[in-house]
Amino acid sequence: MGRYVARRLVQAIPLLLGISIISFAILKAVPGGPTAAYEGNPNFTDEDLRRLEAAFGLDQPLHLQYVNWLSRFLVGDWGYSYSGGQPVLQLIFERLPNTLYLTLVVYLTVLLISIPVGILTATKQYSWFDHAVTGATFGFLSTPTFWLGLLLIIFFGLQLRLFPLGGIATPGAEFDLGDRLKHLVLPVATLALVQIGSYTRFLRASMLETLNQDYLRTARAKGLLERTVVLRHALKNAAIPLVTVAALDLPDLFAGALVTEQIFGWPGMGRLFWDAATRSDYPVLMGILAITSALIVLANLLADVLYGYLDPRIRYS
Amino acid sequence: MGKKLFVILAAVSLVAAACGPSAPAGGGGTTTASATSEAPLRGGTAIIAIWQEPTTLNPLYRNQTVATVVGNGVIEGLARTRADGQYEGELAKSVPTLGNGVTVDGPKMEVRWELKPGIKWSDGNPVTSADIKFTWERWMADAKVNTRDGFSDIEAIDTPDPLTAIVKYKAIFPRYPDNFSGLLPKHLYEKEADLSKTDYNRKHVGTGPYKVTDFRVGESITLERNDNYRIKDKQYLDKIIFKNVPSSQVAIAQLKAGEVHGMWNLLESEMVEVEREAGVRVQADRSPSVERIELNTAMNKDQTEPTSTHPVLGDIEMRKALLWATPKQQIIDRLLAGKVKPGNSPVSLGWAAPTLTQDAYDQKKAIDALDKAGWVKGADGIRSKAGARAALTITTTTGNQTRERIEQVLIDEYKALGVELKIQNMPSATLLSASWSAGDPRKRGSFDLIMYGSSPGIDPGSTVTQRYHSKNIPHAGNNGVGQNYTRVKNAELDKAVDDSNATLDQAKRKEAYAKALKILNDQYVIIWLYDRADIDAHRVELRGWVENPWAEFTDNMEEWFLKK
Repeated sequence: MGRYVARRLVQAIPLLLGISIISFAILKAVPGGPTAAYEGNPNFTDEDLRRLEAAFGLDQPLHLQYVNWLSRFLVGDWGYSYSGGQPVLQLIFERLPNTLYLTLVVYLTVLLISIPVGILTATKQYSWFDHAVTGATFGFLSTPTFWLGLLLIIFFGLQLRLFPLGGIATPGAEFDLGDRLKHLVLPVATLALVQIGSYTRFLRASMLETLNQDYLRTARAKGLLERTVVLRHALKNAAIPLVTVAALDLPDLFAGALVTEQIFGWPGMGRLFWDAATRSDYPVLMGILAITSALIVLANLLADVLYGYLDPRIRYS
Repeated sequence: MGKKLFVILAAVSLVAAACGPSAPAGGGGTTTASATSEAPLRGGTAIIAIWQEPTTLNPLYRNQTVATVVGNGVIEGLARTRADGQYEGELAKSVPTLGNGVTVDGPKMEVRWELKPGIKWSDGNPVTSADIKFTWERWMADAKVNTRDGFSDIEAIDTPDPLTAIVKYKAIFPRYPDNFSGLLPKHLYEKEADLSKTDYNRKHVGTGPYKVTDFRVGESITLERNDNYRIKDKQYLDKIIFKNVPSSQVAIAQLKAGEVHGMWNLLESEMVEVEREAGVRVQADRSPSVERIELNTAMNKDQTEPTSTHPVLGDIEMRKALLWATPKQQIIDRLLAGKVKPGNSPVSLGWAAPTLTQDAYDQKKAIDALDKAGWVKGADGIRSKAGARAALTITTTTGNQTRERIEQVLIDEYKALGVELKIQNMPSATLLSASWSAGDPRKRGSFDLIMYGSSPGIDPGSTVTQRYHSKNIPHAGNNGVGQNYTRVKNAELDKAVDDSNATLDQAKRKEAYAKALKILNDQYVIIWLYDRADIDAHRVELRGWVENPWAEFTDNMEEWFLKK
């Protein structure tokens, strides 16, 4: 196992390099550049423009720009934002807690709700509960988050005035748990409802398949409690598809939810990425893309390792 | 990305639409200056919604208007521009003038600034002339600063005593009062090699009535009263909080709901909706920004040669016809709710503004001119002359509804004239990058008509020189330096611009600008569509806002107060 993981990690290096080259090329292929931000300043001169392009390295050939970026990136110098001049790492790490706070709550909510609901709908197939859940999950699955988010804002925020229209906390106020939770409800609901739909469907389908397997009949024949049969014997096998999905969703914890953060004015990574994209702020974009792609590779590895744990028949060498 | 952005914008406007016009007309309204006679109250917190996030407040790096909006309470310059367009001393006792602090010696110039005594930084340390010198040194040493305009013309700064700085310019620099619009505290950053890694970006120490006490990224920025401010107890409000919201539509919704006391920046087209709301006042200030359509007189091609001639727009009669066929007032009435004035020149406000009137809308005159000039209508109704077909493109920033509607009006108007107009819009990051290497079509000359807004400083010298002097036509040979995008070449215009830069006498400068801009208008290369407004809004309980076109609405934060 250790050797397998090590080999996979080594294989990831060329992959990540490839991803970074492609991301860089795509970003640079987009016309325009970061200097549009200076347009409004009547005293901004061509001399200033040239100095800034030189300071940012924009005056160099594309391949050199990439090599410069990579060589600094590898030693921990991720460059400076073109807008505001601050170090990219600083910008990322001051947003990260806000995003993790949102995405972790969503992730846990999703798992805590969809696992029991998924099991119940499978064991009580065709019950009214199953029908209700199936209907609801399909509904949420087919709802785009931006639309759901806006509906929630309009209904619970503007009409009922139960929750704030956005933000992470009341501005300028001291820390207050109740206030924080109030701000959390709508964005979490927006993200979680959609994801609960998908997770529940996955678990229900694989549970149904597993429950009809011979080894479960054997387990029941041995006289095991139905609860033990379902939770210990069936769930472990049935969980494999869900584990794949859940593990592959892990990088989203970091990357944030672009659309939802934008709608709710959540000061997280999604909005940082969005703002950086609209400003052609390449260093910030490259920093986020690099971390996200590394996390995706790691999440894939994690999913593979978890299979081995859940199903001993799967062996890695 | 563009599509997604559109979806989100559409969605966000849905939210705003849902809040609807909840109150009947009346009660609200527009003020141009809300001077008030009531006795101001002390204390309280005002919350202002901002729908862009200031990435930095540092005056050396900032390039967003919203950063200036927030920084206004903290940063002060040696001089400021009053609402009437005249300079006055801010940190300096007064603004030096020729013979009174300003001396000219051959090509060189010296400006002697004297600080008001007893001024302190918000951390309690004294402000001295060494800070002035340090500000200049830092601006020149740091490669990432936004603009060195003015600073790069300084040769040396002498500090004979703590309150006096003698700024020595290499050449005559008439815009010297503008030059030090903010000072950097030497005692705090003298030893910092890289300002971008310091807290100066977020909690910058200044001399203004307020200081930043809390900067929560993407959430809010809190300003609290600076007890070391040079005028004791000048501020009424204890705190001013700038709250980040995702869009102007959300800011409007929160303003209506009373969650915020004020908001930064509305579009002209959003004004009417907000004005209808009881309890909300829209503050439409005049602004130096002028929306224009620039016509390319050189060939429309990438890296165009300045000596080339546009087959259609190269004909001044065609350019005249396009101006005469542009219904400015109709556009203003129909698309901008009649809230702005038609443009006449790039300098609409201030002491340098000329009294010029650009020719009015007259379609018949336009048709006659084209007939006379030999532009003959073909079977498809489009004119041509000597093999050149009058088919043009218009370019503006994508996603700007007002501009896109103006384009539609122009397509119809020009069609009636026998000129075909096609839309070729681009994202602002491309259109306005002002960068030759990033492919700004204005720089490269790859456009026919281009619509955007731009504003000069209170002294328009920089704008007029960079944009209308023939030496500033960007082309491959000069690596794309200059902003003379219409490629206008006129010896008299050049001379008038040169004259304006050769004197410190304000009256003479004004005369030279007026002459230059008159010649510019006579070349018919730019259609001045309208003078843009600078629109913000606040709830009626927040009082004391005063118009100053030369500064953002936060310029007089210390005079704001809350009334129950």
